Amino acid sequence: MNNLKNSTSDLLFVRNAFREYYFKYNDLVETPSRINEREFGFMTFQTGMMRHLSFNNIREVYATLIRNTPSDFYCSNAYYNFPANLMQDKGWKGADLIFDIDAKDLGLPCEVSHRYHLCANCGEIIESTADPCPLCKNSTVRVESIPCSNCFISLRKEIKKLIAILTDEIGVEDDNISVYFSGNSGFHLYVYDACFHHLDSRARSDLVGYILGNGIGPEVIGVRKGANDKVSIKFPKAGFRYGWSMRLARKLRIDQSSSSKLTNFINKLGGYERFSKYIIGYAKEIGIKIDPQVTIDIHRIFRHGGTLNGKSGLSKLRCVDLNKFDPLNDACLLNDTDVQVHVKPSNLKFKLRGRTFTANQKKEKLPTYAAVYLICKGLATTI
Amino acid sequence: MSLKLGTADFAKYPFLNEASKFLTESHLDVDEFNRPEMEYIIDRATIRVEVEMQGKIYKNLERHEVEVLTFLSALMLVKLTNIEQILKKHSLFEALRAEAFLIQDLRTERDEKKKQLLLFEIFKELFKVEVDLDPENAQVFRMKVTDYLVRSSHFHEEGWKIVNKAVHGGYVYLDADEIVRLVRNELGNLIYEKIRAMSLSNVPQPIVQKANYLALKFRPTYENKLPRISDYPPCIKHALDLMSKGENLPHTARLMVATYMLSIGKNIDSIVTLFHPAPDFNEKITRYQVEHLAGLKGGQTRYNVPSCSKLNSEDLCFRTLDCGEITNPLKFRRRPD
Ligand code: SF4
Ligand SMILES: [Zn+2]
Ligand SMILES: [Zn+2]
Repeated sequence: MNNLKNSTSDLLFVRNAFREYYFKYNDLVETPSRINEREFGFMTFQTGMMRHLSFNNIREVYATLIRNTPSDFYCSNAYYNFPANLMQDKGWKGADLIFDIDAKDLGLPCEVSHRYHLCANCGEIIESTADPCPLCKNSTVRVESIPCSNCFISLRKEIKKLIAILTDEIGVEDDNISVYFSGNSGFHLYVYDACFHHLDSRARSDLVGYILGNGIGPEVIGVRKGANDKVSIKFPKAGFRYGWSMRLARKLRIDQSSSSKLTNFINKLGGYERFSKYIIGYAKEIGIKIDPQVTIDIHRIFRHGGTLNGKSGLSKLRCVDLNKFDPLNDACLLNDTDVQVHVKPSNLKFKLRGRTFTANQKKEKLPTYAAVYLICKGLATTI
Repeated sequence: MSLKLGTADFAKYPFLNEASKFLTESHLDVDEFNRPEMEYIIDRATIRVEVEMQGKIYKNLERHEVEVLTFLSALMLVKLTNIEQILKKHSLFEALRAEAFLIQDLRTERDEKKKQLLLFEIFKELFKVEVDLDPENAQVFRMKVTDYLVRSSHFHEEGWKIVNKAVHGGYVYLDADEIVRLVRNELGNLIYEKIRAMSLSNVPQPIVQKANYLALKFRPTYENKLPRISDYPPCIKHALDLMSKGENLPHTARLMVATYMLSIGKNIDSIVTLFHPAPDFNEKITRYQVEHLAGLKGGQTRYNVPSCSKLNSEDLCFRTLDCGEITNPLKFRRRPD
């Protein structure tokens, strides 16, 4: 709750809106499978992070959400024998496989048009990141982004690519996949298939490499290094039918009979090392932009489905139909009572619940959901 | 048509449950080992262990009964010696022996059904992994993605990363060498555990005698090894320790061990043997690399042991008080107790 720490009235305002949400929408809060084997944690508006909690049933979760009104509420992807113990004594039993795709990792051109720099200390808007904060002279900045509809179009495309690779290649059943809007600027994809539960971090990291196209080498299509940067080619027995060997073969327009064509191509590029770079570059370009750390970490706690995201006031929600799901509408569930706020940036434009807001550096009357959105992002304060 | 594995198969894979069935069927029991005809078997088992202790695969292959009895005798011998080194070496080289047979069988067997059966029996029975033939090409094998990942992720070389494999429909497609290599360690462990779990009562005298002979011959004699294991610097000890557990060492650690061993005068053979337990061990490549480091191959320059500060920066230093102010592991001298 970085953005709220500077103002008690902001904090109270947001917390009230959150509490009302948990009264009204507790049926949206999901019941995780094997709930008593999960570790829970939450962040409060005032005191910080609590971890190593465990609940026997969903009613205990509801009670905690209402009693403590956390800014963020998390549940482990892992199953433990003793979820409330410290990490080394929990007894890890397995974990759902989770992928995270965030707009910031897509390198989208629209990003600069809706990105704001804030002083990490006092929250003042920083116009030029070269200079320290004009108010407090601090020089660490924090970046906040207001994802636009273009961001969500690109995110949806990326998620679909991820689903395709998981189902076609890795062999995950459609039914075992759930996609969630993270409540801010990304999506989480959960794989519930029990086959993947027992994979350790190392195995997950390998799988992540496959999804990202990371760690690929010319041997994937049977090209090996010979003497003096020359190459020797022995096409794989499995051919170019599948996976990265297929993608590369298509890109290079080669088949099992193209050995000399490929040699020529490699020589033209300038030898093995150049070819290797070429392949790595291509794989990186078309690989899926997941956040590797999220998937590799098998002890992580994740924002829980149906709870609010303290960075935005939007809900983390399951997208039953990815094509129809509109995050800035469907996940925006706080009330619409008007409030007066002071908006920090000049020329701020954003869309929520089908309404376009334009606000600039002055008193604005906004519905609560929009006010909370800006306050959580540090772009407005209550008056 | 009912297809079954035959005696020729059991000769090569005597550890399969069905291989020793004839023993129970013919009511053969431990006492049989006292009979004079068994002398040949017991001698053969003894030689097998001796060959393995030299770091080689015992290649001789006879008919089914002889193989199974030799296999069992060797297990008893190794158990009786009660020497961890022998147990480890034996498990490893039995696995390598089976691996060599299996690769050959998978490559040369023309009958697809037979091949499938072999795969099924060995992988399913021993490792609880299902391995299949590629429906479109019987030269290619496939394994479930998750079964592949739990094994391959212990391997060090880039080529094993799943990104460099053909993956489709939940399967990873592999050739015969690869599929067999993936489970080498498991077979070694299986044999190791089998011996550990054995309980021997009234062992036939001829076997006891041979076991005593082996124990005497291969008794760990640290006196004639210079320096003693406990005299190695902590970094080397740590790496050797990991290696003996079959863990994969990063390239930098292998380089450290190899250069160190060369510098203290170990011969190439014994250094190559050190690397045997590595999951992705390849005799040819390792030998080449060690010879290269020794200056016998390639650039003809002999590589030095990396300095302590270099090793420290590579997270390979495990400094203890004994290290003092030394700058290179070669200068390490243990303080007198
Ligand atoms: S100080 Fe040198 S000898 Fe001692 S553990 Fe570190 S690297 Fe090895
Ligand atoms: Zn400031
Ligand atoms: Zn955008």
